[in-house]
Amino acid sequence: MFKKNNKMLAAGAVMAAVMTAPAMADNAGRALQSGQEYMVVTNYPNNLHVIDVATDQVYKSCDLPDQFGPGTAIVSPDKSRAYVLSNRYSTIYGIELDSCDMSFRAVLAQAPGELARSMYSFAVSADGKELYSVANPSQKNLDHYVVGDPRLQVYSTDAGLDAKPIRMFPAPRQSYLMQAADDGSLYLAADNIYRIDVQTGEREVAIGVRDWQRKGYGQPDVLYLWPKQQVSRDFTILYAAPKFTDDTEDMETAEFMFGFYNINLETGETETQDFAPITEVYFTGARSPKDPSAMYAVLNRLTKYDIATQKLVAFQELDHTYYVLAFNHAGDKLYLAGTFNDIGIHDPETLKKVGSITLPGGDMSTTTPQVFIR
Amino acid sequence: MGGLLGLSLLLQHGTTLAAESASAEELLATRCVACHQAEGNDKYSRISHQRKTPEGWLMTIARMQTAHDVPLTDEERRTLVKYLADKQGMAPSETADYRYALERRLNQQETLMEDPQLGEMCVRCHSGGRIAMQGRTEQEWHHLVNFHLGHWPALEYQALSRDRDWLNIALNETVPHLAKRFPLESEAWFKWMEQRPSAESLASRWVFRGHYTGKGEVAGSMTAKYVGDDRFELELDGRYANGELFTGSGTALLHNGHEWRANVDIDGTILRQVFSVVDNEMNGRMFEREHDERGLDFHAVAEAAPTLLAVQPGYVKVGQEQELTLIGSGLNGTPQLGEGIEVLKVLDSSANRMQVQVRVAADAPVGVREVAVGQANGTTLAVYRQISEVRVVPDYAVARIGGNGSPTEKVEGRFDAEAWGIGEDGKTPYRIGFVPATWSVEPFDDEADRLEDVKFAGVMDRETGVFIPGDAGPNPERPMMANNVGNLKVLATVDQGGQVVTGEGQMIVGVQRWVIPPIP
Repeated sequence: MFKKNNKMLAAGAVMAAVMTAPAMADNAGRALQSGQEYMVVTNYPNNLHVIDVATDQVYKSCDLPDQFGPGTAIVSPDKSRAYVLSNRYSTIYGIELDSCDMSFRAVLAQAPGELARSMYSFAVSADGKELYSVANPSQKNLDHYVVGDPRLQVYSTDAGLDAKPIRMFPAPRQSYLMQAADDGSLYLAADNIYRIDVQTGEREVAIGVRDWQRKGYGQPDVLYLWPKQQVSRDFTILYAAPKFTDDTEDMETAEFMFGFYNINLETGETETQDFAPITEVYFTGARSPKDPSAMYAVLNRLTKYDIATQKLVAFQELDHTYYVLAFNHAGDKLYLAGTFNDIGIHDPETLKKVGSITLPGGDMSTTTPQVFIR
Repeated sequence: MGGLLGLSLLLQHGTTLAAESASAEELLATRCVACHQAEGNDKYSRISHQRKTPEGWLMTIARMQTAHDVPLTDEERRTLVKYLADKQGMAPSETADYRYALERRLNQQETLMEDPQLGEMCVRCHSGGRIAMQGRTEQEWHHLVNFHLGHWPALEYQALSRDRDWLNIALNETVPHLAKRFPLESEAWFKWMEQRPSAESLASRWVFRGHYTGKGEVAGSMTAKYVGDDRFELELDGRYANGELFTGSGTALLHNGHEWRANVDIDGTILRQVFSVVDNEMNGRMFEREHDERGLDFHAVAEAAPTLLAVQPGYVKVGQEQELTLIGSGLNGTPQLGEGIEVLKVLDSSANRMQVQVRVAADAPVGVREVAVGQANGTTLAVYRQISEVRVVPDYAVARIGGNGSPTEKVEGRFDAEAWGIGEDGKTPYRIGFVPATWSVEPFDDEADRLEDVKFAGVMDRETGVFIPGDAGPNPERPMMANNVGNLKVLATVDQGGQVVTGEGQMIVGVQRWVIPPIP
């Protein structure tokens, strides 16, 4: 019955075996050097790589447990640990970057028969003591499922390998990215972007998305799966929205705009800012740490816009699709990741490709590269 | 190849139930009851509160096997599908508008999309047919929504979900709407259960006609011999308009008094039959097991009352002599082809097939006319002076790259050129029929031109209108190593002695077909 499927599975198994082999270099115990700049990035079949940004070489590779996916990683504020959402969106792992040892594990499900998954929705507090995640639970009963209400689950980061929530609060449906601010509050993107008190679970709308009341605009659309931790402490999410040409608010004549929501996690300041008319699709965008007046965006091309004038300043054709971009701290190197296993290195001035890093292993899928200084 | 696979699961050559094999009642009471609560009177939780087509039940039971590890042999699964499709099936009238989904007409453009409750909530992922060919209680539709989000939590984040309070809308607006529109209990179903015929009564010699896209008209007879347990042995004896034979044998299984599923071996190629048989008429599609895009529309009548099933070709041109083949049952007498058409000679004649030479007067009235042979009627013939318009059918199609070592086959694009004329009133268009044409493709737009889609996406056969897509996999010769996908205009050109008429359609050459459920 499953002849064709088996063939496909068999082919997959062979590919996985081939791809796994090079990742086995024994550098797991290689400690990170204080003051050095690194980038973590994940890929199939189960890799967490640390790249040395100075040399653009793979510094070390850690194995991730269980089933890979999505493999999204964030780095603890003290830069010692990477938290990785994986095992098919169901578990958050804490991996010590110096040793590759697992020091934290939180299974999101809280009851027997419960399936609970997080859609890229996790963050670590600014002091590194707490980890937050929104779990979407479903109870699998004997002959039917019951969808449960989403929960914000708060963990102590020293809870070890069987971490249980120390607090739980109701969370909005359709929650995705979150990041924690310096004042202890948590910003969570769902139908709107909320600011949440992690002690009480109380939330208020920080930026309206579904409920935005922006004169001259229709409802924005957001699909953003990259919880990029930026040097500037900006939490940035791209949107696409129709901008009406007149008071009739006619969708037929509307111009479609790319923009970004931004929360500065240091100051709490929020922004909603268009940066380009939609002429092509981008998955992610970021401002350069060197020049915040410019917005960079990527999918099938790498582009640079002047935010003030919303004009395309430069563009670069790419050898394949990349989902996500990341700057180094100095803002003089721009990394493109996601899809395949090669990270493109580009010059932020000219946008030209100046190098690449080939990762051991396979597809990076929706990985988020995080750049940090140890 | 889930869909084709699926159909193969509904059928097995020469299968007879071994004496010791479990009955469906026993399987329900021993296997299914592990999760589904017995409610008495041979009823079980969930199972007894839904109705589906045979393919619908197959998908459900196969999912129980793959997602919930229910141990069933292939034979046990077939036993359950047959039992449930008979006991809790769909009346012919309930599936009539949606049979394209069972018949694997994957280029169908659905109207259910226009139901505001269903278009964005269900039909953005599924065929409307998959939803509409079910009957459920409100509770069951409710369970279905929970099942969806339980299995696929990303569903809430997709386009046309993330813009709304999806779960709340699904449970509180869509579910009541579904329960009302597609209920468990319907008058049509109760009535059908009372009147549905025994399988044995369908044992007959059936006279059929069909149109095999890329090959042309087909006609002949199919003998269905009843062998018990709702099963038939089949012999097909037909031929294409060009004289090529279309013959073979196979087996059929009837579900629910009308759902006819068969495998027929035609010259070493297995073709499926997915028909609904109602009132001594069979209608559906017959298609290759390994390439469901290759196939023919199939229409048959039981050889009982005199019927004229088809005239092939279905059109004549004024001022010309032409050969026509008349297909039917009880053909006896002179063809009555109407004003201005004279039968010059009967070339061949039997009760099922008559070949005649006709002359069409220069002033014969153009348009579509009803024709007959003796008592046998039921079909039409188009008379035309000039083809005024050519339409590409389907006007929007999806072909798919494949092969090249990948586990999926290519899905061809297959097109017909449909000629239209203008009636005697000088304004009303009428359908002449499928005509030979010269086929070509062009870039659909500037982007397709820039990316050289015509060069990479595949090759159109000039004569047959069959498009073979390119190989699967990234192509280093294309910008960004793109696959051999494309966006093409499909052009059918008909030359009427120097006067050229061209029809235009669109074909997307898409990525591989990875997911092929029995009902899309």
